[in-house]
Amino acid sequence: MSISSREFSYKFISLLPILLLFYISLNGSSVINIKFISVNIHYILVYFWVLRQPHSLGHGYIFLSGIISDVVLGFPLGSNSLALLFVAGVASYVRVVTVRVTLINDWISFIPALLFANFFYYIALYYSDFPIDYFYLLKNSLFTFIFYPVLWVIFSLILNLMKS
Amino acid sequence: MDTRREDVSISIRSAFLRKGAQQRFSLLGLIIVSVLLIFIETIELKPLNTVRSFIKDLIYRSAVVATYPTKIYATTSIFIVNHFTLYNNYNETIEENKKLKSKISDTDFLKLENIQLRQLINEQVESSSSLMSARVILDKQSPYLNSFIINIGLNKNIKKGMAVLDGKNFIGRIVDVNFFSSRVLLVTDLNSKIPVIVEPSGAHAILSGYGENKLILEYLSENHKVKDGDKVYTSGKEGIFTPGIAVGEAKTKKENIQVKLYSDLNQMTFVNINFGNLENNEE
Repeated sequence: MSISSREFSYKFISLLPILLLFYISLNGSSVINIKFISVNIHYILVYFWVLRQPHSLGHGYIFLSGIISDVVLGFPLGSNSLALLFVAGVASYVRVVTVRVTLINDWISFIPALLFANFFYYIALYYSDFPIDYFYLLKNSLFTFIFYPVLWVIFSLILNLMKS
Repeated sequence: MDTRREDVSISIRSAFLRKGAQQRFSLLGLIIVSVLLIFIETIELKPLNTVRSFIKDLIYRSAVVATYPTKIYATTSIFIVNHFTLYNNYNETIEENKKLKSKISDTDFLKLENIQLRQLINEQVESSSSLMSARVILDKQSPYLNSFIINIGLNKNIKKGMAVLDGKNFIGRIVDVNFFSSRVLLVTDLNSKIPVIVEPSGAHAILSGYGENKLILEYLSENHKVKDGDKVYTSGKEGIFTPGIAVGEAKTKKENIQVKLYSDLNQMTFVNINFGNLENNEE
């Protein structure tokens, strides 16, 4: 009985990144707006898990969660998926070229991921005749970058739980 | 130098082209699919619209289920707060309730008397059958779209452009219709432009949304006499909305004239769809 409950908790923890990914997509809470602050937790989640434990978050799941986000938030189909896949792409690249895992390394390499993702995201919105608020883009990118270490710590705890 | 360039190219290929040990799809393949989807989104074809409607309906229903924990948490916390404040207000509420009940019975009596008198003079009582009620199933505000999803669509003959009311007050219009759901674009959205008339001056204007509950009257004539507290109604000039639907009150600022809505857009649970002039039109 105790073994099965341990197996269940291990299964649950290993599925946590995917559950979180789909929960924030379906709940429409991929971007958290609190007064002036705007943080895209979707990007941080995808970046962290693809960088640190890629087999926990398949590319197909990332694509699907982007599609769900697009439908729930009313964006053109494919725009969020494209941005998330670029975040995953940069994370995969960083994983290949780096050896040591530190918060600073992850944090700095998150900048090009954000830039690429937002660049392609806003191109997608531009071609779909969506109004683009450049100040919002800047604000969102900045706070997503600043907020990264907070989620990094939380996700690292989950990762340690998985490994233990 | 060449070796370094080769390293970068190998790393990029490894990141984007290889599927990896437990990945079923390569990133590049999925990126191409996403770009194709964005391109297809701009094409308006009946079979494509049917597929899109089906996918959207499916995701909306799943989203409704996924938001249950959040809704339950919000409902429970409100319930607990209400429970603690209820006791303090208990006696006061009983008194108020007594007064309200007596008022309701007075109103009921007056309504009944009014109907009887109208029947007596053979006057037709106006019906509000051009309205249909709908429940808000998903209210997730995105940074670029002030909108929400309601639980009726083509199944109830809903069409794009129909006016959406909170009670009798205008709050937005239908912009996307699926089989069992529709998206309502709120009047505060950046894309919302509604022809209105300001009373008592009778000035015509366009009510434009600016996001974050900000509404501005545009294209007013130079000699307009709009002042604070003037009532704003739909003018019906575009031939879709019924004229005379109440929207809000004018509020003059230094640089422009803003409009304060009668309805609070953050508190929507049920809305009315006004079939207006679209009811008998063919799609």
